[in-house]
Amino acid sequence: MINIKNFNKSFGKKVIHKDVSFYVREGECLGLVGGSGVGKSVILRSLIGLEKPDSGQIEIDGIEVHKLREEEMIPLRQKVAYVFQGGALFDSMTVQENLAYPLREHFKLMDSEIKKKIKDVLEEMGLSGNELNLPSQLSGGMQKRLGLARALMMSPKIILYDEPTAGLDPYNTRKIQEHILKLKKKGVTSILVTHDMPTALAVCDKMVYLHNGIVSSSVMTSELNNRPNDQIMKFIEGEVA
Amino acid sequence: MSALTGTVMHRTQNALLFAGGLVQLTGQIIKNTIRGKIYWKLLSEQITIIGWKSLPLVVITAISTGMVMSLQYGLGLEKFGGKLYVPKLVAITILREMGPVFTALMIAARVGAGIASEIGSMTVTQQIDAIRALGTSPIKVIVIPRVLACLIALPLLVAVANLVGNAGGLYVGAAELQLDPHFYYQKVVTTVDFYDYLSGMFKTIFFALFITIPACYFGLNVKSGTKEVGQATTHAVVISSILILVGDYFLSKLFWVLERWA
Repeated sequence: MINIKNFNKSFGKKVIHKDVSFYVREGECLGLVGGSGVGKSVILRSLIGLEKPDSGQIEIDGIEVHKLREEEMIPLRQKVAYVFQGGALFDSMTVQENLAYPLREHFKLMDSEIKKKIKDVLEEMGLSGNELNLPSQLSGGMQKRLGLARALMMSPKIILYDEPTAGLDPYNTRKIQEHILKLKKKGVTSILVTHDMPTALAVCDKMVYLHNGIVSSSVMTSELNNRPNDQIMKFIEGEVA
Repeated sequence: MSALTGTVMHRTQNALLFAGGLVQLTGQIIKNTIRGKIYWKLLSEQITIIGWKSLPLVVITAISTGMVMSLQYGLGLEKFGGKLYVPKLVAITILREMGPVFTALMIAARVGAGIASEIGSMTVTQQIDAIRALGTSPIKVIVIPRVLACLIALPLLVAVANLVGNAGGLYVGAAELQLDPHFYYQKVVTTVDFYDYLSGMFKTIFFALFITIPACYFGLNVKSGTKEVGQATTHAVVISSILILVGDYFLSKLFWVLERWA
């Protein structure tokens, strides 16, 4: 479903990734972990064409993303959703307008159909009653859930989560975890970039640990307990950055 | 010497990057305006922001300019017994130069700065990335409505500025220079022709582009942080003002040639 081969990326003279390769099967949730600044988000952004790799291949569902021009990305971006770390909500639009935006752009739906879909998604996310609020009137946890809600509006096959639980209280973290698991059960493929190891362990099937620009370790989550000396276990226990 | 060479090289490189970026953005605007859909709601919002909300500033600037010009011309020409030429001079100067240029400079300061800071903030908070990630284009959603709105609003604002500026001139002509208001009005009407009006209006098309395209360019090229948003805003206003002032000479010259040719 998602295949990254020999991914290389530098910013100026700073080399971020050196021949990074990994894959994600359909319906799987992959946790991309590693210290701050190792370029986890850069990989996620490259998957949806927000960054271009210096070299290497990115394939999603058979589409060679690295070869696409900006306007050719549109069909891909309709089936791959990106949940931004800070929500990236449109601050001049209401909650309702934020959610309606992707639908109005890509589908010819009646206003009543859009309103129904918004109502359903807001109910699912526990955000009902906030339709006319601006994002700035919501709490941090609600904004994160709204970011996820907007990503779900186009019923994506793949979701890329960039630190979805960063800075959240335990209640909101659990809520986000539940949503990710619910989507996983529906067959949605996903990549989760996070520092929140309990969430990663709870939702991910596989973990890839990035260190010094390379994939230092790649393990199925179910096997982690049998591999106490694995780099990922050391990262989880705070022994390495 | 090598430090100086390095600085010159760096600045030249930046200038070329900027020029290339502007050309590229202009190309994208033209291509997307022709091919893509127009966001009418966003366009009408921007016309309100750029046009309607700038009206008080434009009116104050224009009336002050007209009054000052009338007073200064009056004081200067009085020495040579040429006070009667004040209405002609004020009217032509406002219609051909002061109306379009001062209005454009005010809009560059108010609207250009606003556009650069708004888009810059959207870039920093990843809203521009979100627009792209949702399969849409920031050029279509953000840039084109602002460019088109300025292309529509600026000529209208200049038309108001021309009217108000001449009214200011008439008021000072009557109150301070003791010119008969009817005489003043008749002189303006009989002096000014269609080409004077067209010359000023023709410039507004270019001025609108000089304001909005650099502002959008600097906003979209903010990389991170509020400091860069501030820098983008400053650059947008400085570059727009330079383009307006320098461009005004060449546009005046062009229209002058066209007028003679016609």
